[in-house]
Amino acid sequence: MPAPTRVFLSGCSMMILLIGSLAACVQTAPPELLEAVESLDRDLVAIQGAEFAPTEYARFVQDWAALKGRMLAEEDVIRWPWEPNPLAAHLQKVQEEGEQAMAVATQRKEEDRRDAEARLTLLDRRLRIFNSRVDEMESRVVLGQRPIETELLVRQAHSFLDQGLFARSLQATEQASTLIVAQTALLTTELKRYADERLVGTWRQMARRTIAWSRTNQATAILVNKADRRLTIYRNGRPVVSYQVRLGYNGIMEKRYQGDGATPEGQYRVVKKRDRGQTQFYRALLLDYPNAEDRRRFHKARRAGAIPAGAFIGGQIEIHGEDGLPMSQTLGCLMLDNRQMDKLFEKVEVGAPVTIIGALKVSNPVALALADLEQFEEG
Amino acid sequence: MKQPFICYLMVSALALAGGCAQPPTDKLTTAEKAINEARAAGAPTYLAEDFAKLEGMLTTAKREIAEQDAKFAMLRDYDKAEQLLAAVETDAARVNTDATKKKEEAKAVALQAQQAAQEAVKATQELVKKAPVGKDQKPLQAIKADAQGLIASLSEVQTALDAGDYRVAQIKAKAIQEKSLAVQAEIQRAMTKVGAAKAQKDKQVKKHSSR
Repeated sequence: MPAPTRVFLSGCSMMILLIGSLAACVQTAPPELLEAVESLDRDLVAIQGAEFAPTEYARFVQDWAALKGRMLAEEDVIRWPWEPNPLAAHLQKVQEEGEQAMAVATQRKEEDRRDAEARLTLLDRRLRIFNSRVDEMESRVVLGQRPIETELLVRQAHSFLDQGLFARSLQATEQASTLIVAQTALLTTELKRYADERLVGTWRQMARRTIAWSRTNQATAILVNKADRRLTIYRNGRPVVSYQVRLGYNGIMEKRYQGDGATPEGQYRVVKKRDRGQTQFYRALLLDYPNAEDRRRFHKARRAGAIPAGAFIGGQIEIHGEDGLPMSQTLGCLMLDNRQMDKLFEKVEVGAPVTIIGALKVSNPVALALADLEQFEEG
Repeated sequence: MKQPFICYLMVSALALAGGCAQPPTDKLTTAEKAINEARAAGAPTYLAEDFAKLEGMLTTAKREIAEQDAKFAMLRDYDKAEQLLAAVETDAARVNTDATKKKEEAKAVALQAQQAAQEAVKATQELVKKAPVGKDQKPLQAIKADAQGLIASLSEVQTALDAGDYRVAQIKAKAIQEKSLAVQAEIQRAMTKVGAAKAQKDKQVKKHSSR
């Protein structure tokens, strides 16, 4: 081989070796590692890493951003082949941080979901029981707009949960729970008198007096028990028939003023019999509400500011049948089925005593439902 | 002898010029402004992860600047920080646009839900006027209270809309609409029941009068 050729070939070999060693020294980030980190990044976005693992996610994001900057800055840096690849090490670290953020976010998200779901399930049960007791006490009207506010919050809590907005779901659940507690407190204030032994004792005495009057006078008397929603006809001191009776739309409450929908409690008499054509409610027995005791109570409450200033005491409390168009409502009266009203109308004369009481026993349906509700809330 | 001296001076001047690199204060301010604009556009709500990334990049850039600041003046190099800040600015603009778009979409959905809820509540109110109340019916007052509660709740939707909380507004509106429809169904059932009772009563009256 001629000398120039040899020189040329050895020169070429040197060049190839040099280029080869140079290429080997440009260290790039391992593509599989890069892909793994990018995939983690996408997964963390999907799992809402910023919300569920804010610290870990911030660390990952910061380091990932720093690494991207470093890769950009070091893309032309040449290192000896035996030197370790710092980008690979950095990527490894970022991957570990991403995996940690992912683990924390997954765990916390699941915990939050479970927590929100459990609380909402409990709220659903609580609301079911609450509504059932309210229905038992027929005290829905007492609560005004609160039941619908509660229901709307429960619906919102479910929607938030479905959308993965657990904190919002918990917030709505909490608000609904607070509303249930407030409603229970309101019911307790308004209806605790049904569990008041002294008051129940007074009602019992009123009932005894009425029955005694029926016995003594060998006449008919009527006893209405609001808690039991029963109207019982006594003749000669003995119960002869008992009917289910409907109270005013807010009948379970204590009558305070005209238009409050409450059915009054007290000892009354039938002052007028209104036959067909004389009343829009089929047939009716007009009571002497308000009596002297009602007036005294009304004026006392008005002086104390317990009732609106412009309120009236009301009147026209009757025991009546149903409206001809079945579209009626009672504003405080007692309503019977028309066939039952026929029987009552025939049995009762003007002057007959009608005693309306809250309850005969302390363990009446209203007091029991209220106690159950309070116990559930405490539990 | 004169030439090497000039060369030395030039090299020194260049080294000094290079060594006295200034921190990218203006770029940092611009990047921070871009992030604030993205925040105002609703990015933390509508593009939370992208926004977190932006904040992460900004923190990294600040840390890089601080690291360079701590070095000897002639050795400072803010290139990496500048690159990061430029990326923050570009990404913030994209996030801003995307968040604005998403927010607008959410707003449109919320407004639509609000309108549907308003219509449902109005229909409920109309139906309440016709609601029958009989011996076995739920008291009219309870239904009226429900309708009033639904009307009052509509203002909560507006409050959420005014606050730019469109997701909450939409969910609240949806709940109102669903409940309104439930109340309407309840009234309809009662009306059907009463209608049937009335028809039977009319039939009986007709039968009696024909005797």
